[in-house]
Amino acid sequence: MMRYDLMIDFWRRFLRNKGAVLGLGILLIVFLLAALAPLLYSYSPWSMVQRPFLPPFDREGFLFGTDTLGRDIGAGLAFGAQISLLVGVVSTLVALAIGVILGAFAGYYGGLLDHALMRFTEFFQTIPSFALAIVLVAIFQPSTVSVIIAIGVVSWPPVARLVRGEFLSLRSREFVQASVVLGQRNTKIIVSQILPNTLSPVIVMASLMVAQAILLESSLSFLGLGDPNTMSWGYMIGAARSVIRQAWWMSFFPGMAILLTVLSLNLVGEGLNDALNPHLARKGR
Amino acid sequence: MENQPLLKIEELSIKLPTGSDRELAVDRISLTLNKNEILCLVGESGSGKSMCANAIMGLLPQPHVRPVGGLIMFEERNLLQLSDHQLRQLRGSRIGMIFQEPMTALNPLMRIGDQIAEVFSSHGAVSKSRLKTKTVELLSNVGLPEPETIGDSYPFHLSGGQRQRVMIAMALALEPAILIADEPTTALDVTTQAQILSLIKRIQLTRHMGVILITHDFGVVAEISDRVAVMQFGKVVETGTAKEVLNRPNHPYTRQLINSVPRLKPMHRDPPSGKQLLAVDRLDKTYAISRGLFKKGRYVHAVNQVSFEIRRGETLGLVGESGSGKSTVGRCIVRLLKSDAGHIHFNNLDIAGLQGEALRTHRKHMQMVFQDPYASLNPRRKIGQIIAEGPIAHGESERDALARAHELLNLVGLDPTTTERFPHEFSGGQRQRIGIARALALEPELLVADEPVSSLDVSVQAQVLDLLEDIKKRLNLAMLFITHDLRVAAQICDRIAVMKLGEVVEYGATVEVFANPQHAYTRELLAAVPGKNWHIPDTAPTDGE
Repeated sequence: MMRYDLMIDFWRRFLRNKGAVLGLGILLIVFLLAALAPLLYSYSPWSMVQRPFLPPFDREGFLFGTDTLGRDIGAGLAFGAQISLLVGVVSTLVALAIGVILGAFAGYYGGLLDHALMRFTEFFQTIPSFALAIVLVAIFQPSTVSVIIAIGVVSWPPVARLVRGEFLSLRSREFVQASVVLGQRNTKIIVSQILPNTLSPVIVMASLMVAQAILLESSLSFLGLGDPNTMSWGYMIGAARSVIRQAWWMSFFPGMAILLTVLSLNLVGEGLNDALNPHLARKGR
Repeated sequence: MENQPLLKIEELSIKLPTGSDRELAVDRISLTLNKNEILCLVGESGSGKSMCANAIMGLLPQPHVRPVGGLIMFEERNLLQLSDHQLRQLRGSRIGMIFQEPMTALNPLMRIGDQIAEVFSSHGAVSKSRLKTKTVELLSNVGLPEPETIGDSYPFHLSGGQRQRVMIAMALALEPAILIADEPTTALDVTTQAQILSLIKRIQLTRHMGVILITHDFGVVAEISDRVAVMQFGKVVETGTAKEVLNRPNHPYTRQLINSVPRLKPMHRDPPSGKQLLAVDRLDKTYAISRGLFKKGRYVHAVNQVSFEIRRGETLGLVGESGSGKSTVGRCIVRLLKSDAGHIHFNNLDIAGLQGEALRTHRKHMQMVFQDPYASLNPRRKIGQIIAEGPIAHGESERDALARAHELLNLVGLDPTTTERFPHEFSGGQRQRIGIARALALEPELLVADEPVSSLDVSVQAQVLDLLEDIKKRLNLAMLFITHDLRVAAQICDRIAVMKLGEVVEYGATVEVFANPQHAYTRELLAAVPGKNWHIPDTAPTDGE
């Protein structure tokens, strides 16, 4: 009953933010595109199916035209959505796993452990994340797994700092002290008392991190460091950059796809923030 | 001259946003403030007393909360119809206000002298050359030490009481006709409170002002008010002179409130006869402040050679002002903190040095009740889970623990079917009962209660105190009761230990400590209790209860 009320409340606040609703709509379309890609296109996005340099809206079945080798850009967009979403979500999960665990330990135990873990975090923060990601992918050989790991490894520090801050402030709250006095074990206190209370800001941050990860993945494949067997938006732009003046559509459509996906994730993140942290929501809407 | 009305509130109604627990924050109230008097607005939280003050100052969070009817007449103008600009001119110059939190009401980055001068200059009242002398005059007026130089300090240099004095100086700067004080002493220690109250009284007398003082504390009312208005659910239920209302209350609600005020005179209690359960022996605790990896930091001696004992069935009161170290002692005993030196013998086992699993299993013998009922329950867990957590942590099965949660809710006077609810559905007093049930779930021998009633309204406070007393008797518990409130201590404690700056300065049976205090500091504390000369009438409510 109570959970149900909370959900209703959550959706009411979320839906009040028009931008977030728009973002959620775009995100749904991208999801559907990724899920239905094999049904929409019976051929691989790598196969050459038409003459090269076919402009968009020119021939039936090739709404977005073809690229320099005659591959269907529409198919590339659909299959690229799969890899973008996969990398975005999984690498965010990797980053959350590292960041939440380190942040929770640092914030809960404090003292020397906190010092050590935070210096370790700062060490990662001082290295430009994109450069580190390039190095990691180059060392591990470009593949979807190595791209995911690389992005996860470079994007956890902000999560660790956020979770540590939340833990620091919650640790001194009376309900946590009460569980200490009750004799609950530290792991139990971390997992069942404090962690659920840190979730709202972490969820908001995660939605923005998915957007970041998609951008990073696109940049890596733009440089040719993506999985060579997977079609991705970044790769499409990279391959088309030399002919951008003759064939604008080859880089324009994948670019728009990235822009809209990242924008929608940011809008959704803002909506989540309004809905989960109503006290911090912007005033005067 | 004496009884000339200064401010008249007629049939004032203030509307709350839709979806609040009632429609009107203030429901058709009428009040008069005369020249030369202190009017106390008394009521429990949510009674609308602060709303009333904010309406006078034009500080309501419009348009969500807005006046929907009535008048506030001041100097032949209706304050509700003034423009923002006109109100701004009135505020500060004709009506001054002081707030509850002296810690947050001052700008932390500005010298206090400049902040006072700002009041003058924003109303263009005083020429630049005279600013300095006027400021110094005010600072000495409110009794701040070294008024010539203290203006150069920043707020963080000053204590809470001194900051409240600065706030009063700012409110008085332009010699307003009315001073509104919203719980001005609630955040202060009892000795500081007494000083601030007498300062307000003195200033009111010398400047012939009208003062509206908002408070929840009948002791404060008895101490300084001339007239009283009692508010409940947005309505004024009783008005009258302080003497009438305090000694012959008419309205049942007023009677109930006055009846719940703890008496300062301790009842006679038989000396505790149970076996010794806890013996604290020369306990020491030092805090290190701002210590880092490579720097040494400052040390504060929070607990210094503290010794006392508690027997089964005894309540020991640990009394003192903020910073006296009383909470630190409590936390060392339940081992939320580790003491630096000394012994804590619990049933002849020294628990000061226990660690790891041995400490964890020992925890069930001593439990704690916390101060803030809003922070002490995890907002994301159900009541049943919260109460069952302790037994589960000590190996009881979840089913048995939840079944016990039902019984415990019954024991603390709550509906046992509420186990599926979340904490936010309960009031402060109910939450405190849940906190007590959680502590009792482990069948402890010692209960440490850290200010368990200080954030509750007075009528709820009385109920929770009764509950604690009742449970202690029924389960033959030993209780360490930490409080700053001598009235509460007088009600519930068998023995009392008075702490000052980390040391126990007086320790003895409650009756004796109150009747014949040995230490100067104890005498000072007792003298500072607001309304100490007021003999609370026996007004057992005729109906209701």
